[in-house]
Amino acid sequence: MIQLFRVSKVYPPNYLALTDIHLQVKKGEFVFLSGPSGAGKTTLLKLLFRAEEAAGGQIIVSGRNITRLKGAGLARLRQEIGLVFQDFKLIPYMTALENVALAAEVIGTSKRESKSKAFHLLRELGLKDKYDAFPPALSGGEQQRVAIARALVNDPTLVLADEPTGNLDPEMAEEIIRLFLRIHERQTTILIATHDTRLMKQFNQRVVLLQRGRIMEDSELVESENTS
Amino acid sequence: MTLSQVAFVLRRVFGSLRDLFWTHFLTSGTMAMTLFVFGGFLLLQENLTRLFSGWSNQLQIFAYLEEGVKGSELQSIRKRLQSYPEVESIRYVSKKEAWENFRRDLGAQSSVLEGLEEGLLPSSLEITVKKPYRERSRVAELANRLKGEKGVGAVEYPEEWIEKLSMLLLAVQWAKWIFGGFLFMASLLIVGSTVKLAIMARQQEIEIMQLVGASQGMIKAPFVIEGMIQGMVGASFSILFLWLLLLVLSARLPSSLGIFLPTGRLHFLDLWHVVYLFSLGWMLGAAGTLFSLRRFLRT
Repeated sequence: MIQLFRVSKVYPPNYLALTDIHLQVKKGEFVFLSGPSGAGKTTLLKLLFRAEEAAGGQIIVSGRNITRLKGAGLARLRQEIGLVFQDFKLIPYMTALENVALAAEVIGTSKRESKSKAFHLLRELGLKDKYDAFPPALSGGEQQRVAIARALVNDPTLVLADEPTGNLDPEMAEEIIRLFLRIHERQTTILIATHDTRLMKQFNQRVVLLQRGRIMEDSELVESENTS
Repeated sequence: MTLSQVAFVLRRVFGSLRDLFWTHFLTSGTMAMTLFVFGGFLLLQENLTRLFSGWSNQLQIFAYLEEGVKGSELQSIRKRLQSYPEVESIRYVSKKEAWENFRRDLGAQSSVLEGLEEGLLPSSLEITVKKPYRERSRVAELANRLKGEKGVGAVEYPEEWIEKLSMLLLAVQWAKWIFGGFLFMASLLIVGSTVKLAIMARQQEIEIMQLVGASQGMIKAPFVIEGMIQGMVGASFSILFLWLLLLVLSARLPSSLGIFLPTGRLHFLDLWHVVYLFSLGWMLGAAGTLFSLRRFLRT
C-alpha cells in the first residue's frame, strides 16, 4: 500500500526533517507512527498525501509514484485517502452533516447521496442526534468523530491521522482509537501519528518510531528478527 | 465535470453572491463605471462618425466665377464641369442670390450691409460631389482641377472642418483606449481584491476541498463564474446609464446639429456594440479573478 525508499525532506534554509526513510506498509495494515514532537511524524504523513514534496527518494502509494504528483493526479490520490487532524479542521459555519457531505460533493457525488452517506456514517459513529449541530457546539470527541466520518465518506483505502487524540482526554482518546480499529476491520489501511505511548501499548499494533527525522525502530522488523 | 459537480459549483456561486452581496455589488458598480466611460467614448465615436458622414453627404465645392462670366460662357463652363466624373450636380448661384443668402445668414446683424452695393459678391457654382469621391484627398484634387478652369476665379470647400472632424474622431478613438485602458487596469485590481476577500472568507472550505481531492477546476470555477457575473451586471448598468445619458443629451441637442445626423437625432449603440460591452464585462471579471486566484490561492 505504502512504500518509501530513501526519502528525505529538507525545510528551508537547511533543516533536515526526514533522512533516509525506508518504510513499507501493507494493504490493510494498522500502524502507529510514534516519536517525540519534531521527530518528523507530521512531515511523513504530509509527504504521503503530497501536502509536501520530498527532497529525495521515491514514494509509492497504491502502486503510484506520488513523489512529483500534481494537478488531476494529486486530486485523484487524495480522493483515495481519508485524512484526520488533531485540530479536526471542521468548517464552523456548516453543520456536522454538511461538513461530512461536502467531502463527497466536491468529488462529484450528488447532494442527495452525499447527505445520505454522511447521515449513515454519523449514525454509525454514534452522532445520530448531532448531525445538524455546528462544530463549536460539539465536544472534542464528537468533533473528532465528525472529522473521521468526513475522512470515511469517500470510502478511502488509506486513512492517515495526525495526532487524532492530541486534543482529547484519555477515555475519549481510547474510544477514537477503537473507532479506527473498527474501520481497520474493513481492510482499510490505517496510519496514525501519535506520541501517546500508553495508547500504543494498550492497542498492541505495529509501531514505527521516528526520532530526529530517522526511523529508529519498527516493531514489525523487531518481531520478525525475534522469530527468525 | 459531472452534473452533480456543476450543481455544486452553482450552489457555491449563489451562496457567495448572497453572503458577500455588498462586496460583489460594489465591484459590479466599479466595473459599470469603467464600462460606462468606455461605452461613452464608443457612443461619442459612433455619433461623430454619423455626423461626419452626414456632412460628407452634403459636401459641396464652391467655384466662384470671374467677373463678367454669363450667358453662353457660363453654359460652356457648366457643361465642361458636368463632364467631370466626380461631379454629381451643379447649381448656379447668381450675384443677387448670393447677396440674399449672405443677408439671411447675418440675420439680426444684416443692417451692417445697408448702403453696400448688391452685386458685391461674385456669382458661383455649387458643385455636389458624387459619393465615392467624397474623400478629403479626392476633393482636394478636384478643387485644384477646378481652379485651372477658364472663367473660375476661386474655389472653396470645407476642408478645414473635414480635417478637424477627422482629428476629433481620431482623438476620441485614442482617448477611448487610453482612459478605458487605465480604468480596465483599475477594475482588474478591484475584482482581484474582491476575489481575495472571497478566498479569505472561504479559506477553510478551500483547504478542506483540496485535502479531500477536489480538482483545481472545482475550486476555481465558482470564483471565475462570480467574476463573470459581476462583469455582466456591471455591463448591464453601464448600458442603462449610457441610455439615460443619451436621453438627457438628446433633449439638449441643438436642433441645428440634428440636421447633420442621418436620423436627425443622436444614435444609441447598435446591437454589436452592446454585445461588445457585455463581452468586455465578463472577460474583465474573469481575467481579474484568474489573476487574483494565481496570486492568492494556495495550492
